[in-house]
Amino acid sequence: MLAFLAKYRSVFTVGLQSNLVYRWNFAVRGTFSLIHLSFVFILWGAAYAGQTDIGGFDLRQTLTYFIVMLVLQYFISAMNEDYEISEEIRNGLINQFLLKPVNYYLYRFTIFLSARFVSGLLALVPVALALPLLADKITLPGPGWNYVIAVPALLMSALIQFTIAYCFGLLTFWFLEIQSFIILSLAVETILGGQVFPLDLFPNWLYQLSSWLPYYYQMYFPAALLTGRITDLGYALRGLGIQLFWVLALLTVAQLLWSRGLRRHTAVGG
Amino acid sequence: MEALRHYARLWFASARYSLVRTMMFRADFIMWSLVEIFWMVVNLMLIAVIYSHTESIAGWGPWEMTIIVGTSMLVQRLLMGFFWTNLFEMSRNVRSGHFDFFMAQPGWPLFMVSTRKIDLEGVINVPLAIAVIVFAAHKLGLHPSWLQIGCFSLFILCGLVIHYATLLFFVSLVFWMQSAHGIEHGYFGLNEFSRLPREALKGIASVVFVYTLPVIIVTNVPARTLIHGPELGPALWLFGAAVFWLAVAVTVFQRGIRRYSSASS
Repeated sequence: MLAFLAKYRSVFTVGLQSNLVYRWNFAVRGTFSLIHLSFVFILWGAAYAGQTDIGGFDLRQTLTYFIVMLVLQYFISAMNEDYEISEEIRNGLINQFLLKPVNYYLYRFTIFLSARFVSGLLALVPVALALPLLADKITLPGPGWNYVIAVPALLMSALIQFTIAYCFGLLTFWFLEIQSFIILSLAVETILGGQVFPLDLFPNWLYQLSSWLPYYYQMYFPAALLTGRITDLGYALRGLGIQLFWVLALLTVAQLLWSRGLRRHTAVGG
Repeated sequence: MEALRHYARLWFASARYSLVRTMMFRADFIMWSLVEIFWMVVNLMLIAVIYSHTESIAGWGPWEMTIIVGTSMLVQRLLMGFFWTNLFEMSRNVRSGHFDFFMAQPGWPLFMVSTRKIDLEGVINVPLAIAVIVFAAHKLGLHPSWLQIGCFSLFILCGLVIHYATLLFFVSLVFWMQSAHGIEHGYFGLNEFSRLPREALKGIASVVFVYTLPVIIVTNVPARTLIHGPELGPALWLFGAAVFWLAVAVTVFQRGIRRYSSASS
């Protein structure tokens, strides 16, 4: 067990080092995210003009939701993982993993964790610098238990995010170009993951429907828990259950794609 | 006149090449067209959801706001269709030395760089963006005159010039910085503001996004023209901004070319 952990600890360390090379990219991206946040503040500020609540939440709660979303994005979102996996398959770099006692999914997931560790911390820098401006916009209401439930929700969100990206990457076994699949899926995820607006602003039937889809658990669910948009304990626990189902379902799909994909794969070269 | 015919021939040759290339990868073309449509739907859904909870945003009703969003989509689709890939690839070409290829071609390097490829999936969605604007205008009961439609089209062209120029400006910095990584995030981040009514911006945001960067006027001036009719002041402002930003971008590009030294062997 210790040898098993040591193996992936080394992968994590290598991942940290290689991601630190791109520290400026993450920092620049984090800074540009503040431009997006300004847009969100202006748009929602104008929408709230003349009214105290939208969908049962006041302006501060809604702005807090978007700030939390922004930070979470850098800690748990899949960014380039699908492209990287695709490249490794196309270039034949995965061949080495077929010969070594390394599980490719765990290897990539460890790299993902190290990358998000770096990107998350670096994205906090511009947010921390902007904190004097953001401080009066932040409110973190909630019964208290929501923060406890948010911990497993965040871990499973990261797993869902990564596994979806992993599955898209594996599509390279069948398709030469997967970029359009990824961007198309990104558009759906952006809406149904609650990145454009909080999902509770949907009509109730659509909101309930979305809560059965995996996208809901990619970003919205943990963000809603952290920002007090989900205040019913029963509903939160039900959410955790559905989220667990999606984690298991996606892991099964990933394993299926991997084993089927390998049958199509041809390793060439010496 | 002869020079104009020469460049028109070059452009048509590039257009024909792009069309043939697109038809070779038809499934790809369909997928990317769907991608573009989906992102347009994302923008429209945001408006629909907000207006299901409020009646106005900075004094603009839902269909007026849809005209702004439609106008933003129209300008962006035109940019995506005709220039985005070309300018985006320029930074890579400068770094790799492939920019030599454009320097050796029979025409002004800026023209050759900007018109090499046409992305049909962007162009094909232009009618869809127009349809969004027409539908919103219909919902508002607007009956724009030919003058309004003519001015609207001219302002869209000015908006395209502004978007092209700002993108060219940022990409041309690659001649000095060796990398223009992240410009797409910057561009899309700034472009978001073009979907806002000018009245929503106050204080420092107004200074930056209305008066300093021509982000808001690109959509607000054409949209107001369609809704309220053309106004001389904003029209001159938009036209002036287009000329100014184009001059700045071309100057930076030309200066950059002078610094360029081939990276190839």
